[in-house]
Amino acid sequence: MGATTLTTRADETGLAPLHRPNKRWTRFILPGFTWLMIVYLASPIFVMILYSFNDVPVVPVKQTPKFWGFTLRWWRDPFGVPGMPEAVRLSLEIAPLSALVATTLGALLGLALGRYRFRGKGPMNFLIFIAIAVPEIVLGSSLLSLFITWPDVPVLGSFAPGLGFTTILLSHIGFSVAFVAVTVRARVQTLDRSLEDAAQDLFADPVTTFFKVTLPLIAPSILAGFLLAFVLSLDDFVITNFVSGASATFPIFVYGATRIGLPPHVNVIGTMLFAAGVLAAVANLAIQSWRARR
Amino acid sequence: MATGTEERVSAAPARRGAYARHRRTVPYWLTAPAGLYLLVFLVLPMVILVYTSLQSGGLFGGLRFSWAWENYTDGILQYKTQFLRSIVISGIVTVACLLLAYPMTYWIAFYGQRWKSSILLLILVPFFVSFVIRTVQWRFMLGDNGLIFGPLKSLGLLPQGFRVLATPFAVVAGITYNYLPFTALPLYVALERIDKSLVEAAKDLYASKWQAFRRVVWPLSLPGVFAAFLLTFVPATGDYVNAAVLGGPGTRMIGNIIQETFLHSVNYPLAAALSVVLMVAMLILASIYARVLGTEDETLTAAI
Amino acid sequence: MSEREERARVDGMLQEALRARLSRRSVLRGAGVGAAGLSLSSLLAACGGGGPGGEDGEGKPNPSEIFGQEPGPVVNFANWPLYLDQAKDKEGNVYYPSLKLFTKKTGIEVNYETVIQSNEEFFGKIQPQLAAGDPTGWDIIVITNGRQFNILKANGWVYELDPTRRPNFEANATPFARDPAYDPGNKVSMPWQGGFTGIWYDVNKTNGPITKLDDLANPDKVGRNSVGMLTADMPDFVMINLGIDPATSGPEEWKEAAKWLMMQRESGTVRQYYDQGYVDDMTAGNLTAGMGWSGDVVYYKLWAGYSNLEFVVPQPGEGGLLLWQDNMMVPVGAENPAGALMVMDWYYQPKIAAMVTEWVLYLSPCKGVREVILKDAEQALEDGYKGYANKLYQTAEAEVAFPSDETLNLAKFGTNITTDEQAQEWDAIFLPISQQ
Repeated sequence: MGATTLTTRADETGLAPLHRPNKRWTRFILPGFTWLMIVYLASPIFVMILYSFNDVPVVPVKQTPKFWGFTLRWWRDPFGVPGMPEAVRLSLEIAPLSALVATTLGALLGLALGRYRFRGKGPMNFLIFIAIAVPEIVLGSSLLSLFITWPDVPVLGSFAPGLGFTTILLSHIGFSVAFVAVTVRARVQTLDRSLEDAAQDLFADPVTTFFKVTLPLIAPSILAGFLLAFVLSLDDFVITNFVSGASATFPIFVYGATRIGLPPHVNVIGTMLFAAGVLAAVANLAIQSWRARR
Repeated sequence: MATGTEERVSAAPARRGAYARHRRTVPYWLTAPAGLYLLVFLVLPMVILVYTSLQSGGLFGGLRFSWAWENYTDGILQYKTQFLRSIVISGIVTVACLLLAYPMTYWIAFYGQRWKSSILLLILVPFFVSFVIRTVQWRFMLGDNGLIFGPLKSLGLLPQGFRVLATPFAVVAGITYNYLPFTALPLYVALERIDKSLVEAAKDLYASKWQAFRRVVWPLSLPGVFAAFLLTFVPATGDYVNAAVLGGPGTRMIGNIIQETFLHSVNYPLAAALSVVLMVAMLILASIYARVLGTEDETLTAAI
Repeated sequence: MSEREERARVDGMLQEALRARLSRRSVLRGAGVGAAGLSLSSLLAACGGGGPGGEDGEGKPNPSEIFGQEPGPVVNFANWPLYLDQAKDKEGNVYYPSLKLFTKKTGIEVNYETVIQSNEEFFGKIQPQLAAGDPTGWDIIVITNGRQFNILKANGWVYELDPTRRPNFEANATPFARDPAYDPGNKVSMPWQGGFTGIWYDVNKTNGPITKLDDLANPDKVGRNSVGMLTADMPDFVMINLGIDPATSGPEEWKEAAKWLMMQRESGTVRQYYDQGYVDDMTAGNLTAGMGWSGDVVYYKLWAGYSNLEFVVPQPGEGGLLLWQDNMMVPVGAENPAGALMVMDWYYQPKIAAMVTEWVLYLSPCKGVREVILKDAEQALEDGYKGYANKLYQTAEAEVAFPSDETLNLAKFGTNITTDEQAQEWDAIFLPISQQ
């Protein structure tokens, strides 16, 4: 339908050439700097990928600065470190679950905040702002305080989850909701309201309007929110470290392992997760630009 | 933006009257699930943190709630160095992040043209890899005989004793690296929203490029700078992983103390008190920001 | 005061009434439901002996009952890294030979994970679960003698062991493994390995041999920013080397040790205060000297080709060593206590214990290990594995694995912290140093 009207922002730079042709060398400063920054930001990733192929002979096997030669050993057996398969599995169980719940909660909240005026909106906005700005260590220690106090509470105490899967999941949902909400809110705020009004004028009831008009329009932001929540969960170390008890997610495992030497297998898993993330992001970008062109 | 809702609905045909009443409750239904969740898993934990911070005792005899304010005085006195250091380090980090991110996001927003999203993605892609792995790889690259300095030393370009790892510089560099996206995104959103024709207009009025930037772009990007400041400075104050992985003696931050006291010494009250101090400082900063610029401001959050 | 006592009395009665029917876990929770607002700590205080473990009478978990159950199919074993013999099968997968033998013999699988990086950290992770009465997920944990050990014991967070079900231990435990001061009668623990904390140095990197503690604060000997210290061990280690016996030490002596540590920090020699990861920096050449654990250093020296490393056994009068013992315990809520005790006792057979010692080079709590190693060495020599035989001979001769009486005389256990006041004072003195 009228998707083109929604993408004005993407095209607006096409409006005018911003600067007169500049022949001086200074015109290379900014782009050169930007590309240098990109290389700088990616440098640990290059090292990670490169050293996933390092043929280290050391026992117990760990990453060394020296590159001993090329091998696919670690790629053939990425889970060859005791404890790692469980950690990766736990991460991959929690991330989609947490992202799913956080996206549902966050998308509804984002819709409300972006669209309506209501009492409590200001405090709600402040709350999600806090959730984003709060130092992780404060959030982690608060959540741990909650989970260790919970069992002592009368009646509710018997529902207290032991530290582990449940507490990690609850915490991950907690810090992801705000991120999803702001992603969706930003999108809702830029929506062209006339489309929904038009639908309602055509005698569609609000529910139909929502599912046929509003939802498709904000779907990309919901998807982006989901991906964001997924990555946040997969990546989190500080908060998880507080609430995980004896269980270990992938980042917790890596942190523990590094203290006696980083096994190259970690680089393999890291590279795989990285590749998956890049694919998802590129796909998202491609879909959006495809929709924009339509 | 959402201001129109009420009026428009009331002006609609009578058939919508029922919806209108109904609609007034809609935002509450939409907000309720997430609101409740955040209440239980964000606000309540912070309240309990305060409660924990006022307990006394320990693991041998058990913990008791006793309005133990001395946890605060003891904690602040014992660890004032680390509090101060955290503020100094994250201050330096924030400035470094702004200096690095501003020119980059400026170029993307103003000259990126149709590649904007792709370049932005290139900047964000490294952050798909776990924060822990990235930091550990930096440790590896910055090692005394690591990937960067090893070769330079063997070429004789650096003295043998030269080192970066386990110095404050390594910690600043690590945090700067890890928090750069939190600076770059709000900046990018702010810069990207600036109407480019304003710059053109300034130039038409014979403003030099520099003047155009200083008089037009910079003021308009200020909300983004503030947002970037807040989203970098506040979380960075509580960071402890960089100091633990890349630092040495004399680089520990208050986050290290909180983590150590909470999880290792298992002195919950003292650790909670230190954490509350950090939390209150954060709330004050955030409230000032909200007062001045409003929490709905898009630059803060739109692209996070 | 009296109000608290009254409440404690009520709590006690309440618990008395409940514990006949409820499992340990529900005792804690059930009591919480009944008396609105009462805290866990007051409940614990009510149990007499300072914790649920102090209960007596029928409510107390009976060792022969707990350990008399049919063993489960899997034992979850949490241990420290590099603390068990390893080998690789044909596909190159790492496995643990001594555990494999156990599984072959008993049919019980052992899920062995090296998740303990430090006592403080590991304890911090399982403490909330234990306090809430939840299972930790582990059947065996390994904790060093000291504060965390004492807290586990005082709160009754570990099961009392059944002495009738550890025949190998009763027959083969060495004198220092048996009946240690921190756990009379080995009621709740059986040692896994013991060891010394001492000084190591890299002969290629220091200016002459390192012989005493003060060398670690001397930039001319060890260089600047190049000494690795062990956070948890350094207070006791410094005290011992200052001639103070930690067993009789108090805040005054602690402050003396702190003074030395501050002096050392200001000398600029320290690179890092470690929980555990010093080995990585030691082998990477980032350090010249530091504190280390005997088995780690000797392992890398003898078995991993780092002949440049040296572990210092001080001359009498020049300093001392910190002696510690890591102890296997069964946390309350363990799913397979019977299986756990079988594994623990398994390692008190000289042949099995020798497999571990040949690999980890620490103090074995089992008698007869040295003889087995010597026999293995002879066998290796006969089979023509000269290098391997040599290493085994060196292992059998290693002073820190099989110490002489003189060496043992140099060694002392660390401070035994048993109250909250001590713990807080200790932290207030020493945390600001390592966390500077």
